[in-house]
Amino acid sequence: MIDQFILGLSVVLQPEVLMYAFFGVFLGQVIGVLPGVGAITAISLLLPVTFYLDPTSSVILLAGIYYGSQYGGAIASILLNLPGTPSSVVTCLEGYPLARDGRAGFALLVTALSSFVGSMIGVAVVVMAAIPMATFALKFGAPEYTMLVAIGLVAASLISSGSHLRAFSMALVGIALGMVGSDASTGQYRFVATDALADGISLVSLAMGLFGLSEIIRNAASHEPRKTQIKLTLRDIFPNRAELRSMVKPVGRGATIGAFFGALPGTGAAIASFMAYAFERRISRTPEKFGKGHLPGLCAPEASNNSAAQTSFIPTLTLGVPGDAVMALIIGALILNGIVPGPRLIIDEPELFWGVIASFFVGNIILLVINIPLIGVWVRLLSIPYYRLYPAIVLLICVGVYSHRSSITDVVLTLVFGIVGYVMRRYRFEPAPLLLGFVLGPMLEENFRRTMLLYGGDFSVFVTRPISATLVFCGAALLAFTIGSAIVSHRKALKDKNTQGGPYSV
Amino acid sequence: MLKKLMLALPVVAMMSGTAFAADTYPERSIRFIIGFGAGGNADTVARLLAEPMSKDLGQPVVVESKPGAGGNVASDFVSKSDPDGYTIQLMVGGHAVSAALYNSQPFDPLADFTFLSTIGQFPFFVAAQAGAYENIEDLIAKAKAAPGTIKIGHSGVGSTQNLTGELLDLETGADFIHVPYKGGAAAATALLGGEVDVVIDTGTIMTPQQDAGKFDILAVSSKERWPDKPDVPTLAETVAPGFDVVSWTGVGMPAGVDSAIADKVRASVHAAIADPDVAARIEKLGAKPSPMSGEEMRTMVEQQIETWKKVVESAGIEKR
Repeated sequence: MIDQFILGLSVVLQPEVLMYAFFGVFLGQVIGVLPGVGAITAISLLLPVTFYLDPTSSVILLAGIYYGSQYGGAIASILLNLPGTPSSVVTCLEGYPLARDGRAGFALLVTALSSFVGSMIGVAVVVMAAIPMATFALKFGAPEYTMLVAIGLVAASLISSGSHLRAFSMALVGIALGMVGSDASTGQYRFVATDALADGISLVSLAMGLFGLSEIIRNAASHEPRKTQIKLTLRDIFPNRAELRSMVKPVGRGATIGAFFGALPGTGAAIASFMAYAFERRISRTPEKFGKGHLPGLCAPEASNNSAAQTSFIPTLTLGVPGDAVMALIIGALILNGIVPGPRLIIDEPELFWGVIASFFVGNIILLVINIPLIGVWVRLLSIPYYRLYPAIVLLICVGVYSHRSSITDVVLTLVFGIVGYVMRRYRFEPAPLLLGFVLGPMLEENFRRTMLLYGGDFSVFVTRPISATLVFCGAALLAFTIGSAIVSHRKALKDKNTQGGPYSV
Repeated sequence: MLKKLMLALPVVAMMSGTAFAADTYPERSIRFIIGFGAGGNADTVARLLAEPMSKDLGQPVVVESKPGAGGNVASDFVSKSDPDGYTIQLMVGGHAVSAALYNSQPFDPLADFTFLSTIGQFPFFVAAQAGAYENIEDLIAKAKAAPGTIKIGHSGVGSTQNLTGELLDLETGADFIHVPYKGGAAAATALLGGEVDVVIDTGTIMTPQQDAGKFDILAVSSKERWPDKPDVPTLAETVAPGFDVVSWTGVGMPAGVDSAIADKVRASVHAAIADPDVAARIEKLGAKPSPMSGEEMRTMVEQQIETWKKVVESAGIEKR
C-alpha cells in the first residue's frame, strides 16, 4: 500500500503534473466561491482541454476542480450566507452567525482546517480501503438506500434550532417541492406547469434563493451595522487551545460520516454534510448553542463534505461506475483519452490510479496553503458597505444559477424562493430541513418504489436483509429517542410556563 | 400594378437574399444546440464536432445547451428558429423515442426539421453477471419458463435502453421485470451487486466490466454483429429474428433551410467525422462514425418512430 502510494507521489511530483494539480484546485476554489457555478460547469468546459493532456494529468486536473470547489463553497457561506455549493448549505448555519459577530476570519480558518483534516481522512480511507469499501457499497441495494434515506429524513427534523414540529413541516414542504418533475418510476410528469419544470426544480436555485437571496432582502430591510475586523493577526483568527480541542471529535465524526456517504454511489457530499450536522446536534450536550456559531456544528459538516468528495472517487476508480454527474464526466475524460475505467484500472494502470490518489493528498496541502493567506482578503470584502455589495451579489447569483442548466426559469424561481425564504425567516421557519427534504424525498420515493418492483411488493425485505434490518433498527431508535425527548422538553416547557408564564414553542 | 409590384418586392428580395446567403454562408457564428446537460454523451459529441466544424466553416460553432424534457426543449427551440443555417441541433436517438412517448409535442418530429446526417451509430448490449447464463438462448428460455421473475435494469423509463428491453419482451414472448435506474452506470452498479439479473446498455458501460470478468455480454441489439465485438451474437440471429435497434447521434436544422446551406453544413459534418482523430474519439465513445445523406437519416428516424410507437403501446408505457 505504502509502496504504491509512493509510486503515486512520484507521478504527482513531476513539475508538469504538479502544475495541473495546482491549476485544478485553484480553479475549483474559485468556482466554489462563486455562488451557483458548480464543478460540473467548469469540468465540462475544460473537458476538451484534456484531449491535449495525458490521462493522468487530465484526471488530476478535473478531480482538483471538484474537491477544490468543496473548500471554496464554505467561503461565501460564511461571509454572505450564500452557499457556493449545495454541500456548503449547512456551513451557513454556524459560519454566518460567526461572521456577523465579527469573527469571519476565525470561521474561515476553522473551516479550512476542518476541510483539510476531513479530506486527509478521506484520502487515507481511499488509500487503505478503496476495494473493501467498494465491495461494501455494492451490498447497498434499493432496500438499504430506502432505509438510509428514511433515517436522513428523521434527522432532517433535528437540524433546527426551533421546534421539531416546524422543522418537520418544512421537511414535508421540501419533499413536495422535490416531487416536481418526472416520476422516476413511470416517467409521468407531476406538477409540471411549464416545460421548463419537466426536469424538476434545481437544487441550486432553491438553495441560493432560500439562503443567499433571502439574506440579502433581510439586510436590505434592516439597518443593523455589521461588525468587521479589518486588521487580522494570526492570533486573532487562530482557535485557542480549548477551541481546538473541541474541534477534534466533531471533525473525526464528520469525516467518518462523509467517508461512508461519499463511497456510496448516488449519495454524495451534500447529504454527507447534512448528516454530519444532524449527528452533531443529536449527540451534543448543548444543542441550544447550535445556530449561533457553535464550533462543532461548523467543523463537522465541513470535514464531512470534504471527506465525501475524496471517497466518492472510490466507486469511480475501483468499479468504473460513477456515483454522480461529476464522476461521470471524469470517466468521460478517461474514455476520450483511451482509458476505459473499470475494475481492472488499478491493475492495468497503477500509475494513473495511484497518481490520482496521491494528487488528492498533494492537492489538499496546496489548498490549505493558498487558503490561509486568502482569509485576510476575504474578510476585507466585508468592509465594503453592504448596499454597494448586494447588487453585485444578486447578479452573481443569477449568473451562477443560469450557468447551471442554462434556464431562465431557474433564475426566476431563485428570485421567488428568495422572497419565500425571507417570509419564512420572519415567521421562524427554517430553510435547512426544507432543503434536506427536497434532496432526500425523491431518493426515498425512487428507492422505495424500486424495492417494491424488485421484490414484488413484499415489505419484509426491509427486515430480512441484514444491512437494511440494522438501518431499520437505527432509524426506529432515532425516531423513538426524538419523540421521547420532544415530549420531555414539551412537558418541561409547559411546567416552566406554568411557573414563570414565559413563552414556549411547540 | 404598383401595389402588386410592391407586394412582390419582398419576395424577390428574399429569393435573391437566400441565393446570396448560400454563397457567403456562414457570415457569423453558428449556434450548436444540444438538448442535454453538460457532461453527457451528447455534450461530448457536440464539443468533439464543434472544433473541426469551426475551422472548416470559418466561423465559430458555439455549443449551447438547452436541456430539459428529454431533449424536447431543445427540439422545440430549434424547430421554431429561423431556418437561416445559423441554428443547428445535435440530435440523438431519443428524438425518435420521444416522438413515440409524448402525447403531444409542440413540434412535428419529422416535418419541422431538416435532417443533415448522423454522426455515429451505436447498438445496445445485453449483459448478465459472469456465469449466470450460458448464452442468450439460455436467458430467454429461463425467462419464458418463469415469467415475471428475471429483472432487467435500465437507464430510466422511456430511455432507448428501456424500450429495447420492452421490444425484447414483445419479440421473444418472454416476460421480464423492467427496473428503472438513474442512468446506465447506476443500472450496471445494480447488476454488479446482483440486484438485477440483466442490464441493457451501451458498450462504454459494459466493456470494462466484461474485460474485468464481471459481466458476460450475451447479445447485441443491432441487425449485424458489431465490429468491436465480433464474437457477440445478435439478437436477430438467435432469439428474435429481425431485431434491429441502433441508436445514434446526428445533426439537424429547422425545416426550410436553403439546400445549398444544408449541403455545406453536411459536408462539414462529414469532413469532421472523417478526420481520423475525431473518428477515433467517436469510436472510443462506443459508436461507429456514420456519414449519411439527409434523406437516409430522415427515413431512419421515420422507421424508428414507428417501431417505438408499437413498443410503447404493447408494453403499456403511459404516454406523457
